[in-house]
Amino acid sequence: MRIRSTLTASATLGAVAVLTAGCLSDGGGGGGGNDNTSTTIEVMYAFAGGQEAGFKDEVNAWAKDNDIKIDFVQTGNFNQLINTRVQGNDAPDVALFPQPGIMKDLASRDLLADLSGVVDQGDLDKMVQGVLETGQVEGTQYAVPMSINVKSIVFYPKAAAEAAGLTQPPQTLDELMALTDKIAATGTTPWCFGIESEAATGWPATDWVENLMVSNYGADVYNQWVNHDIPFNDPRVLDVLNQIDQLLLADGRTNGGRQSIASNNFNTAANPMFDPTPGCYMYRQGNFVAQEGGFPEEVRANLDETVGVFPMPGKTAEEKPVLGGGDLAGIFSKNNKSAQKLVQFLASADFGAQSYGATGNWISPRTDFDVSLYPNQTEASIAKIAYESTAFVFDGSDQMPGEVGSGSFWRDMTAWISGQEDAKTALDNIESSWPS
Amino acid sequence: MIKVLNALIAVLGGVAGAIVVYYLLNKLAELLPGRWEDRIKPYLYLLPALAAIGLYLIYPTIQTFVYSFANAQGTAFVGFSNFTDLLASKNFQNTLFNTLLWILVAPAGTIVIGLLIATLADRLRPGGEKLAKTLIFLPLAIGAVSAGAVWKFVYATNPPTQNQIGLLNGIWTGLGGDPVNWLQISTFRLNSFMLMVILLWIQAGFAMVLLSAAIKGVPTETLEAARLDGAGEGAIFFRIVIPQIRTTLITVFITVLIGVLKTFDIVYVMTNGNFNTNIIAVDFFNQLFTNNNFGYAAAIVVMLLIVMIPVLVFQVRQFRAEEAAR
Repeated sequence: MRIRSTLTASATLGAVAVLTAGCLSDGGGGGGGNDNTSTTIEVMYAFAGGQEAGFKDEVNAWAKDNDIKIDFVQTGNFNQLINTRVQGNDAPDVALFPQPGIMKDLASRDLLADLSGVVDQGDLDKMVQGVLETGQVEGTQYAVPMSINVKSIVFYPKAAAEAAGLTQPPQTLDELMALTDKIAATGTTPWCFGIESEAATGWPATDWVENLMVSNYGADVYNQWVNHDIPFNDPRVLDVLNQIDQLLLADGRTNGGRQSIASNNFNTAANPMFDPTPGCYMYRQGNFVAQEGGFPEEVRANLDETVGVFPMPGKTAEEKPVLGGGDLAGIFSKNNKSAQKLVQFLASADFGAQSYGATGNWISPRTDFDVSLYPNQTEASIAKIAYESTAFVFDGSDQMPGEVGSGSFWRDMTAWISGQEDAKTALDNIESSWPS
Repeated sequence: MIKVLNALIAVLGGVAGAIVVYYLLNKLAELLPGRWEDRIKPYLYLLPALAAIGLYLIYPTIQTFVYSFANAQGTAFVGFSNFTDLLASKNFQNTLFNTLLWILVAPAGTIVIGLLIATLADRLRPGGEKLAKTLIFLPLAIGAVSAGAVWKFVYATNPPTQNQIGLLNGIWTGLGGDPVNWLQISTFRLNSFMLMVILLWIQAGFAMVLLSAAIKGVPTETLEAARLDGAGEGAIFFRIVIPQIRTTLITVFITVLIGVLKTFDIVYVMTNGNFNTNIIAVDFFNQLFTNNNFGYAAAIVVMLLIVMIPVLVFQVRQFRAEEAAR
């Protein structure tokens, strides 16, 4: 009996194994666009909170005037959901891609509408050029930017930093280094730095590396590096890490010292700037740190009086490269007039003028956007940093494959900063994790 | 309101559906001639449950095996390379070593602490015993993620210029030390042990309750006999009590061991495997959801399964032996 039941069991298992073996997936191809032509259109996006609320207000007001009904679909997990929906022939009409990688993939599979005939190409010249280009595949515009964020910003506490010697924003990387030395000589650490971000710990460090990559070597080398045309552990990247070592990691450079960086949350890392005797004077971070959840409330209430900003400098005073990101609007329902109208609106100078710009949660990608519409001088200055940039490059870790961009790059930078790996090992590890 | 209604409909529909299915199966069996009805009926009744297990348990397990030999996207077979790649990688070796530490330390630690508390609480007056046990049992009611959130405040570190909000650093700096990044100290895997403390904090209550009941079940005659023979408290505990609660000890040990092998939340919440604290379940999660590498993820699960099988076999044997002894 015992033997027989064992036999039966293994026979059954074998049969199931034979039936299921070889059942591998077919690689996620297929799927289709969207042939909706009605005036009810679905818009999918990743941003949330105040950014979403302001977007809805602005777009709803416009849609009412144009007899269009819009279904808003927010998802935190944009990339996965859009892939699933495309595979299931259930793509939204308009998608606002937070990262260009997946948009380019869908465009090259001919699932997105060519926008050349939809938006006025001449008018698009007013867009921040680097972001506009991320919406192109082989020269064809498949998506247009509708918002940007800026990461090459150094925040400082106005009064205190001026007293400490920050009278003139540094124009070059050398001047930034000199300023760092000058402040460090006074006995106060010049920089605030924190890379803790729960399960995403490490990403603020990747922004530093990316920023210094584009500052030192320009947009072309930066893009080659992001696209893996040059290896991740190129000697130039090691130079950048050594530069970070000098600027931020050496003794007396960062508030709390090197060991505190990995446990210091990026949102609150800058708070010691605003202490009566500041713990640090400079914090490089994206514009969002000046929004709710970032700087302390009393600081945000008096943003213009308390906080000053200057752009991360380039190699020379003439070069003003900026690292940032943005959301790109693309159309799945190629023949839908309402979807086309919506994207025309999102790309126009009118978008945001009604109410969105004043919320403080959104920066227009258009250089001709009226900066006086922003709620404060600080945000206007930040927007101008982007508008006056000589090169605007898109956040690299957002464009790299997931294994690297939200995996090894975060992880090994954390290991390097907390002293578990040396710079070279960290870069070699990231390079070897790049999917072939 | 609609949600409540939906839930009600789902529950009623589910029960009604099950009744209909079994009624039909019964009718089907009744169609069979004479003795065959009785022969087939039990299997027909078992069928829905077996089908569910097959669909939700056996099929995915086999698919996982299949995928562990396939590439990252699960589109082509790559032989054993997922296993060899993983085992050759320094990071994964560290992950395995950490997991081994967890296996060696956490279940044993839980037993020791649970047993200690159970024994000591047994000596308290009834009111004190209840209070002590309730307090120690409390963390079990908290999910591991919430426990992580609580312990973040214990291990929290701020730069020296700021106030320390972490309990441990509060004490440490109060004694005159500089703030320490507790979870970043990977020397002697100190940070892994600090994470294990959280698991002990959660699981000690569970061990205590079961062991306490077992200790109370030890016949007083045996204890008195030992005392009459002149045995000391230590001898009584180790030579009279322990052998008599052996089966409970093993049950608790295996339950915690399986829990440890599956531990994910604590490490994910506290460090996400950074600072050399990675363990196998967190690595699996990151391979699957960060790296989208189905091959590696499946291979990790298969390895985990292989480690678990002897434990499960031992547990089943133990259970059978217990049943037989009754």
